[in-house]
Amino acid sequence: MPQIVGPFELAAKAAFYIVAAGTLAGAWAAVAARNLFRAALGLAVALFGVAILYLFLEAEFLAVAQILVYVGAILTLLVFGVMLTSRIADPAVPRWNRQVWAALALAAVLGLGLAHLLAHAPWAVHADSAPVKLPVLGKTILSTYLLPFELLSVLLLGALVGAIFIARKDPE
Amino acid sequence: MIIPLPHVLVVSAALFALGVFGALSRRNAIGILMSIELILNSANLNFIAFGRAWGTTDGAPQVLALIVIGIAAAGAVVGLALVLAIYRHRQTISADEIKLLKG
Repeated sequence: MPQIVGPFELAAKAAFYIVAAGTLAGAWAAVAARNLFRAALGLAVALFGVAILYLFLEAEFLAVAQILVYVGAILTLLVFGVMLTSRIADPAVPRWNRQVWAALALAAVLGLGLAHLLAHAPWAVHADSAPVKLPVLGKTILSTYLLPFELLSVLLLGALVGAIFIARKDPE
Repeated sequence: MIIPLPHVLVVSAALFALGVFGALSRRNAIGILMSIELILNSANLNFIAFGRAWGTTDGAPQVLALIVIGIAAAGAVVGLALVLAIYRHRQTISADEIKLLKG
């Protein structure tokens, strides 16, 4: 990507913060919505937002993969699970367990501490580095990281077989 | 990189904290699975942000993030199968009502 200057850079930054805020709002809906279906929609917003954040970081292939795998596959699966199991809209079902306040305090401390730490650490940043081209990425996957890639395909096959075995009806 | 690295890291830390909160406090097992997906996404965002900022030339962070996405898919599939099996046997997927193994 060529060096952007002036108002374009400002607009890109503003767009980043808007997308980040939307992502976090979706994530909050995903963890806090009473209706589990709404939580799934919030998760969709969050996952889509993360895909756009990947675009800001110039990882185009990953953004597309994120949308295909997460929004396309995993989210559909989760919505199926929601539909098949729970009384999603029943307000009598409490959404949180008894340790909700402890969990909130822990998450707040963790989040604020991490944010403070990460924001103030002296990272060595190479500002002039070029984004990775897609052919290079493909070569890296299929040469240096070929073994994890193939192991992942075996893992996915195992997960597929295992999921079918676990979720099928008991042969009575 | 247009966006300063710490700003991306703060977004990712917030995403992680929200995921931890959901995973610890949700009663519904599917809600817990959703929160875990958020945590994995925040880790991926960190991979990409650091890889971009440190100028890796071979795309290794993106490969790692792709592998994490694949493992998350496998985990979600098995987790949902377990949830369905438990629901069929016990008619509930509230994580605090499933205590068969509690002594």
